[in-house]
Amino acid sequence: MANDDREKLSVSRRAFLKGGALATGALSSTLIPLGPAEGADRAPEATDLDPRRSKIELKVNGVAYRVDVPNTTTLATLLREELHLTGTKVGCDRMQCGACTVHVNGRSVYSCTVPAVDAAGTEVLTIEGLAKGDTLHPIQQAFVEHSGFQCGFCTSGQIMSTKALLDRNPQPTEDEARQALSGNLCRCSAYKKILESVMTASRLSRA
Amino acid sequence: MRAFDVVTAKDSRHAVALLAEHAPTAKVIAGGTDLLADLKFSSHGPAMVVDISRVEDLKAITITDEGLSIGALVTHTAIMRSPIINDMFPALVHAAHTIGAVQTRNLGTLGGNLVTGVPSMDSGPTLMALEAIIVILSPAGRRQVPMAEFFLGPRKTVLKPDELLAEILIPKQNLGKPTHFLKFGLRKGQALALVSAAASVWVDVDTQICSAPRISLGAVAPTVIRAPKAEAHLDGRPLTADAMAEAGRIAASEAKPISDFRASAGYRRELVAVLTKRALEGAYELAKTKRRGA
Ligand SMILES: Cc1cc2nc3c(=O)[nH]c(=O)nc-3n(C[C@H](O)[C@H](O)[C@H](O)COP(=O)(O)OP(=O)(O)OC[C@H]3O[C@@H](n4cnc5c(N)ncnc54)[C@H](O)[C@@H]3O)c2cc1C
Ligand code: FES
Ligand code: FES
Repeated sequence: MANDDREKLSVSRRAFLKGGALATGALSSTLIPLGPAEGADRAPEATDLDPRRSKIELKVNGVAYRVDVPNTTTLATLLREELHLTGTKVGCDRMQCGACTVHVNGRSVYSCTVPAVDAAGTEVLTIEGLAKGDTLHPIQQAFVEHSGFQCGFCTSGQIMSTKALLDRNPQPTEDEARQALSGNLCRCSAYKKILESVMTASRLSRA
Repeated sequence: MRAFDVVTAKDSRHAVALLAEHAPTAKVIAGGTDLLADLKFSSHGPAMVVDISRVEDLKAITITDEGLSIGALVTHTAIMRSPIINDMFPALVHAAHTIGAVQTRNLGTLGGNLVTGVPSMDSGPTLMALEAIIVILSPAGRRQVPMAEFFLGPRKTVLKPDELLAEILIPKQNLGKPTHFLKFGLRKGQALALVSAAASVWVDVDTQICSAPRISLGAVAPTVIRAPKAEAHLDGRPLTADAMAEAGRIAASEAKPISDFRASAGYRRELVAVLTKRALEGAYELAKTKRRGA
């Protein structure tokens, strides 16, 4: 395939995804980004028509949203399928693998296990919230430098757990790092490189 | 997931009122680390969920006239970070640390851990060795149940559908009591206990005589249990190496372990003897550096 064909394809894929997002939003009339000044500190409310759905407000990576979702929706599904933030992965969907790790009010959690209604009023940070424009976060930088992954499926979870660790303990020992990431499995078994990435991230973050 | 209604409780009174209104079809959700599996993968999940995760008055760790009160919604992470608990009961901090991984400890609560009623629960043995009291709220008021009477069988407790576990109380006479907890799993992280053991004991530092020894075991009976015969063997005697080893052997005879794919009953029994002895040794070490009431 010629290079410019590929360029066109990728552009149209992006346009397609954007269209898709808007279309979903319109269909269920759920996705309403709020202005940055509006707070999101409220408990969920049952919708007028259906007690099995809830209206919730939450902030994701600094952007406030108001959504209306079935109570069965997990935070992972809300992020991926309603907000189209697909950097958060779902591996096991049962609290075992850590691919879905995000931060809720600064605490790392398995988003596959948090009902979206429980995240109402919270501030969520996902892998998409780390880089500043084209500048990678130091943790991301360290994972790239050390190839802290093979297939990459577990990586956003590994990085979010690393961030949770370094936020509290900027200079962990290797053993502390192993402990802190013990809730994140890597099917490719890149553990050695992941550990190196975490230790380098700790140095880079302090620099 | 089966569809369900959600109501959010504002405080513990509201939670009790909601439960009274909606029991028995309603279930409480605290951290959700256990309940979500039910909701996702079982066909008989509750029709209504009472969300208590925002109930602030059940999140405190305080010293009261009655003892150390730990709110039911205190998470395992909060226990690990509590200065009071680190100071008085390092064993509880250690037990919290052995639960799941960071992500599970950040959400999972002490109350939720106890209500699951599984024999392998990691906060059970230490609390039972400290003779903790479970404080329960219901429309009828407040009642207290000693930990040793709280569990009825695997996944069964005395809690009625309209009752809320509100707090866990470590009675005043046990504040600062030297206590040690040990868990043996198949891996260092994310492993259920094959066997766990906790011991608490007061020791007279001049005579080495011990009093009120309490031994509790996890994962070796239908519920977390005490080992009263092993306790009786030690009470009023000096805590010698022989006495502690013998208490371990007696505790092993009191356990009723099963064989399953993780380990045989015989291996578990052997573990009970070793872990009980080591838990006693750990508590004794602490006792040497601490005087009663200090
Ligand atoms: C990956 C993983 C690893 C785990 N590892 C361990 C481990 O190593 N050791 C261990 O002990 N446990 C472990 N668990 C089990 C679980 O995380 C803990 O038992 C946790 O403390 C449960 O608390 P929760 O707040 O999440 O409970 P929930 O899931 O919210 O509730 C559990 C049950 O208790 C009821 N309930 C909760 N709070 C109350 C209350 N205040 N009053 C009345 N009823 C209530 C609920 O209705 C539900 O039936 C693990 C779980 C997972 C998913
Ligand atoms: S997808 Fe959430 S832990 Fe595996
Ligand atoms: S890089 Fe493939 S699962 Fe970790």
